[in-house]
Amino acid sequence: MRLPQSLFLLAAAGSTARASSDKTRPRGVAPEFAKFYQDTETFTCISNPAIKIPFSAVNDDFCDCPDGSDEPGTAACAHLSRNSPLTVAERPGNDGMDLVLALPGFYCKNKGHKPSYVPFHRVNDGICDYEQCCDGSDEWARVGGTKCEDRCKEIGKQWRKKEEQRQKSMTAALRKKKNLLVDAGRQQKEVEDHIIRLEAEIQGAEAKVQGLESSLKTVEEQERKVVRTSGKGKVNALAGVAKNRVNELRDALVAVRQQRDETRSRLKELEEVLSNFKVEYNPNFNDEGVKRAVRSWEDYAARGLGEEFNGARDRDLDEIAKADDENSGVDWEHWEKEEDGCADSDLIYKVAAYLPPSLVTFLEDKILSVRSILEIGGILTKSEEDSTSESKAVTEARDALKSGESELKDLKNKLRDQTADLEKDYGHGGIFRALKGQCISQDAGEYTYEHCFLESTKQNQRKGGSSMSMGKFVRIGSTTVEETNEAGEVVTVEKVALEYERGQNCWNGPNRSTKVVLECGEENEILKTAEDEKCVYSMLVTTPAVCDSGEDDNVAPRSKDEL
Amino acid sequence: MARSQTASRWTLLLSLVVLIACIVVPGLAVKHENFKTCEQSGFCKRNRALADNASAQGASWSSPYELDPATIHFKDGQLTGMLIKTTATNEKIRLPLTVSFLESGAARVLVDEEKRMKGDIEVRHGSKVNKKRYDEAEKWVVVGGLEISKSATLNAQTKTGFTNILYGPNDNFQAIIRHAPFEVDFQRDGETHVQVNHQGLLNMEHWRPKVEGQEGESEEDESTWWEETFGGNTDSKPRGPESVGLDVTFPGYTHVFGIPEHADSLSLRETRGGDGNHENPYRMYNSDVFEYELNSPMTLYGSIPFMQAHRKGSTVGVFWLNAAETWVDIVKKAGSSNPLSMSAHSKKDTQTHWFSEAGRIDLFVFLGPTPQDISKTYGQLTGYTQLPQHFAIAYHQCRWNYVTDEDVKEVDAKFDKYQIPYDVIWLDLEYTDDRKYFTWDPLTFPNPKGMQEKLDESERKLVVLIDPHIKNKDNFYVSQELTSKGLAVLNKDGEIYDGWCWPGSSNWVDCFNPAALPWWNSLHKYDKFKGSMPNLFIWNDMNEPSVFNGPETTMPKDNMHYGDWEHRDVHNVNGITLVNATYQAMLERKKGEVRRPFILTRSYYAGAQRMSAMWTGDNQATWDHLAISLPMVLNNGIAGFPFAGADVGGFFHNPDKELLSRWYQAGIWYPFFRAHAHIDTRRREPYLISEPHRTIISQAIRLRYQLLPAWYTAFHEASVNGTPIVYPQYYLFPDDEQGFTIDDQLYLGKTGLLAKPVVKENTFTTDIYIADDEKYYDYFDFTVYQGAGQRHTVPAPEDKVPLLMQGGHIIPRRDRPRRSSALMKWDPYTFVITLNKDGEADGSIYVDDGETFEYERGAYIHRQFHFRDSTLTSENLGIKGAKTAEYLKTMAGVTVERVIVVDPPTEWKDKSSVTVIEDGAKAGSTASLEYYEQQDGKAAYAVVKSPNVSIGKTWRIEF
Repeated sequence: MRLPQSLFLLAAAGSTARASSDKTRPRGVAPEFAKFYQDTETFTCISNPAIKIPFSAVNDDFCDCPDGSDEPGTAACAHLSRNSPLTVAERPGNDGMDLVLALPGFYCKNKGHKPSYVPFHRVNDGICDYEQCCDGSDEWARVGGTKCEDRCKEIGKQWRKKEEQRQKSMTAALRKKKNLLVDAGRQQKEVEDHIIRLEAEIQGAEAKVQGLESSLKTVEEQERKVVRTSGKGKVNALAGVAKNRVNELRDALVAVRQQRDETRSRLKELEEVLSNFKVEYNPNFNDEGVKRAVRSWEDYAARGLGEEFNGARDRDLDEIAKADDENSGVDWEHWEKEEDGCADSDLIYKVAAYLPPSLVTFLEDKILSVRSILEIGGILTKSEEDSTSESKAVTEARDALKSGESELKDLKNKLRDQTADLEKDYGHGGIFRALKGQCISQDAGEYTYEHCFLESTKQNQRKGGSSMSMGKFVRIGSTTVEETNEAGEVVTVEKVALEYERGQNCWNGPNRSTKVVLECGEENEILKTAEDEKCVYSMLVTTPAVCDSGEDDNVAPRSKDEL
Repeated sequence: MARSQTASRWTLLLSLVVLIACIVVPGLAVKHENFKTCEQSGFCKRNRALADNASAQGASWSSPYELDPATIHFKDGQLTGMLIKTTATNEKIRLPLTVSFLESGAARVLVDEEKRMKGDIEVRHGSKVNKKRYDEAEKWVVVGGLEISKSATLNAQTKTGFTNILYGPNDNFQAIIRHAPFEVDFQRDGETHVQVNHQGLLNMEHWRPKVEGQEGESEEDESTWWEETFGGNTDSKPRGPESVGLDVTFPGYTHVFGIPEHADSLSLRETRGGDGNHENPYRMYNSDVFEYELNSPMTLYGSIPFMQAHRKGSTVGVFWLNAAETWVDIVKKAGSSNPLSMSAHSKKDTQTHWFSEAGRIDLFVFLGPTPQDISKTYGQLTGYTQLPQHFAIAYHQCRWNYVTDEDVKEVDAKFDKYQIPYDVIWLDLEYTDDRKYFTWDPLTFPNPKGMQEKLDESERKLVVLIDPHIKNKDNFYVSQELTSKGLAVLNKDGEIYDGWCWPGSSNWVDCFNPAALPWWNSLHKYDKFKGSMPNLFIWNDMNEPSVFNGPETTMPKDNMHYGDWEHRDVHNVNGITLVNATYQAMLERKKGEVRRPFILTRSYYAGAQRMSAMWTGDNQATWDHLAISLPMVLNNGIAGFPFAGADVGGFFHNPDKELLSRWYQAGIWYPFFRAHAHIDTRRREPYLISEPHRTIISQAIRLRYQLLPAWYTAFHEASVNGTPIVYPQYYLFPDDEQGFTIDDQLYLGKTGLLAKPVVKENTFTTDIYIADDEKYYDYFDFTVYQGAGQRHTVPAPEDKVPLLMQGGHIIPRRDRPRRSSALMKWDPYTFVITLNKDGEADGSIYVDDGETFEYERGAYIHRQFHFRDSTLTSENLGIKGAKTAEYLKTMAGVTVERVIVVDPPTEWKDKSSVTVIEDGAKAGSTASLEYYEQQDGKAAYAVVKSPNVSIGKTWRIEF
């Protein structure tokens, strides 16, 4: 680590001498700035020409110029930055001027490789910054005995090899991009063709439906002319129907009660789970979500736990659920034998009059709600409208019309989808049309991340294998990414980003969402996935689709102006 | 069917949970029911009852403790005798007393119980517990300063019934020991400063057998003598009631400081109720207090039972060496001792009442008279602050958790990308494989070495969490070794204690056991802790110990440690026994590679300062928590453990940008400067914060780095004198009564830098209190503030840390920003000189390699700077050692690049150069000087360009 100090002093002292003897330019100065350093008597600060200093003050390891231009080869002006806590005294010539450094950094010649800048604060800090400075010239003062050998030959060689590969890969990427555009164009054409086809089919279907409508009409008219006889009076028929109906309702009631009991016991179980949870959870695990859950459980419990069972009502229900006979419920036999003497409408009320009023209202309410619950749950199918006895011919005609109409509807839906698809943003040149649905994945830590272009992002557990949606595709957008430029400054760059939202909800946070930031690359590949904040992910993905150029020989007509 | 049913059940459960989650209004509060109030703690209740009884009886109360004159013996600076306690039933209990007068000027009062010393008692439940009162706290806490004073003498002029001892510097201290009732008054220069048992609250609950079936017959309330139940846990108390208590009065003292750790003001409040006072005593029982509350006497993670009492012109202190649960009551009464002295400032007596659940009475008394004297003497006893590795005083970036090794590398790269310096990145517990310490998660940290190598490229460090609870798992080698070697803490029945912590079922290493140390040592070796490298350091958390299912979130008090001591006896030192074991382990992980360990601990006791840094635990992202961090850090400093800090940004919740920026501006003044965040919070590394706050935070961090030479010098000072690193107002201005309660501004060491961080939302000016009539200069633009005993309004826009420089100082800085502090090692210095009224200034600097112990062999630079008679001089303060010359040679190229003189004499206007004379140089040289005038109340300044004098050499610059 140590180095004879004389060497350091020699190096320091030698710097100015060398600067003047080296006719080209002082240490750390790039060719494009050489013109500012030609006067060997006086140096004029580049951005502040009013300030002139003797040339011997250039690279004397003391910062004289407010823009740092007098120290191109040292770290003496490295503190001139907005990030520094500057006082009036170490900002030479301070009068509130903007802090803009005149030079992008310390210029490394890097013979055998390409020249580059290293930020001034890395000059003579004891670390060889080979990434920027393969010739090791950033550590010229050899502080603390640091010695950075010249590695440009080797690094340059590697770089050229890599660069060659990169070029090759870039060529390949552009070729792939071209193919993608071709595919995208073809796929778009397919959609367009499909639309034309659908439109024709719809015309046909519409005509067919018209035909069917008129034939139904005809059949119905014929039907009305036929006098139908019935063996029994209306009351008896109605009694028959009502009996069936009541039985049906009774069965439904029994089923609903069963279901209610199940739900009740499940609710009880759940309440038990939560109340145990409240007792047993450990506040030291510092999980805010758990604590929040416990608190709301307490609120919930304070409002009263699962409803108390009402025994009396249950006994009522037991009574109602019994089969009808002479003693309880409706004596159907009596009604089925009754002479017909009443108007239809009266009859209904009369039937009801034979039922206990509680049952009537109860059945009206419950059956409706139960049915709808069961239907929503998909347990019962929607019952068809009660059909009065209809002739086979009418039924057939009606069925034919229905199927014709639904066919037409299907076609129209398809057309709508296809038209919408055509309107949809598929990016520049519609290129993402070709990638849609393609999936790539990456193993990272305990997860495998998956990205299906324009569809979804997912996080799959490597241990255990459970899968979590990180979002569904919503739009092609853009995002600004901060990158460092040649001089090591942070600059913002605009990138295409695919946005995925409404993924699985987080225990403590929002629904998961992902921003997939795209970068030019030969392969579709996930480079990195990060959780930027709770359940908000970003994915860095390479794809040929965003490589520069290629759209000019655009094969597909643009459906929409790109971003 | 079954499938769909389970599915729907889950949906139901999920939707219920979601529903629940939606209705909740989040709010945070400590779980009071988890921690005892005095009323719920048997011995606290008993000792308070004693105090209440005494105060009810007033003058007729008399302490039942007498020193038997026949037994008094004074020899070689030590007085021994037998204290006799007379019980209600007229039983005489013999309590051996030792009063030692120490060379350091401290005095020690020690009381034990004869029966217990002889083991002449019976313990209940067939317990194997040690029969003695715990007498080993000293072993973990005291490292020196116990030399007995040879000059202490009996004062011949003593009234009957008293024994007086003269001691201390020039015999100007005196202990006046009254025999009956027993009392010791400590005098300095003939004036009483500390009174022991003046209130007659001395209490040593002697051992007694439990007499069954006789309850109610005795006059005493026995309800809390035996088993005690709290929160579903029953404490078997095999030795019955055994608490000790004592009152200490500070006559004429209104302010007492110290006894951390509490989230409270620096000047401690009264604890017996009343407006603005506490209802409960200050409690010290190291605990993992979840979401602790502010302005409270509740216990926290660490304890230091050391208190300073301060008044104009005098500081005294006491140290209560007892490792058991301890409470302190504080009452301030109008001065009774000297009623005639009630003048402009009404003086009060501060009466303190100390009591612990077990152990001995072991009290050290310090008579000052300055805060520095107290720090020094207390430090001799318990040790000075460790001189840390240099990186440890730079910026630490922590989060629960950096999730992968790649994540760590990326955070590292981002700091570079945004040119924000940092030195250390931290891994909370998730780096482990299934929460087994000394392992890495194979999926998330597959390449720990690659990660550490990457960090090492810019000489950065990694700190990982290692806790004392070891996952109870068969195939985990650490667990196997812990149990097979018999190194775990046992329960009351002598079986290995099993409790719950992060890994679930766990066992605890018993670092009281000497055999635990070599084992713990072995675990830290590079070949055993696979994947660890020399730039890895340790964070010891949860060492109170935190036990999730234990009473008050810690171990049952009847658990057993090495030596058959109950956990009750040792609880408060438990934390530092782990730190001690880790410290020993980290000293030399590889033969010949001896390095200063860096350890962060959450739990602590007196003595922790020798081995570790501390932080204030799990705080919250609120302005109140930001504000309380300053008195908490200051208080730790005066209690001898100054390497302290709070989580920057607040641990729980998300700070907004303003709060976060202000927290960084405050955090750079914590001796331990680390940002940390809970796992559920948003990422908040400084570079992620949008402008202008990113720049504001970067500037704050760079300000810390710029001043690192001053910080390191302050740490060195603490390491040899026991001083704080950031000083509260009273410490530097002990005669200015207006400043005694100020705890929201602070001074960095002796540099004259006075910072007052903004801790209120939407506040863009601040009032800085100035005690003296020196000029104070704004750090950034040299605006002058002057006027003693006043508050001065200083602008504090969001991008500015309110910071002044007192006239009369020479402040060393390094202005070149680097990636990490290690890379500043070879950079030149800038000196800022502010002249005092007499046109003079002083300063100093301490420099060494920042990682090894070579400084003990002279490998350091310690210089004193003076500016007198227009000449700046550098003089050596160091003592030459075997390694001095070699070190100086390596440092020869490190120079002074710039000297800034603020407010120089106006004659300098015409000066354009100064003369530089380096020792041993044949001739002087010149350096240019530039004088700059300023307007609008801003002082002029002059800059010397490149004097290029070497930092390690003797030189002078003539202006």
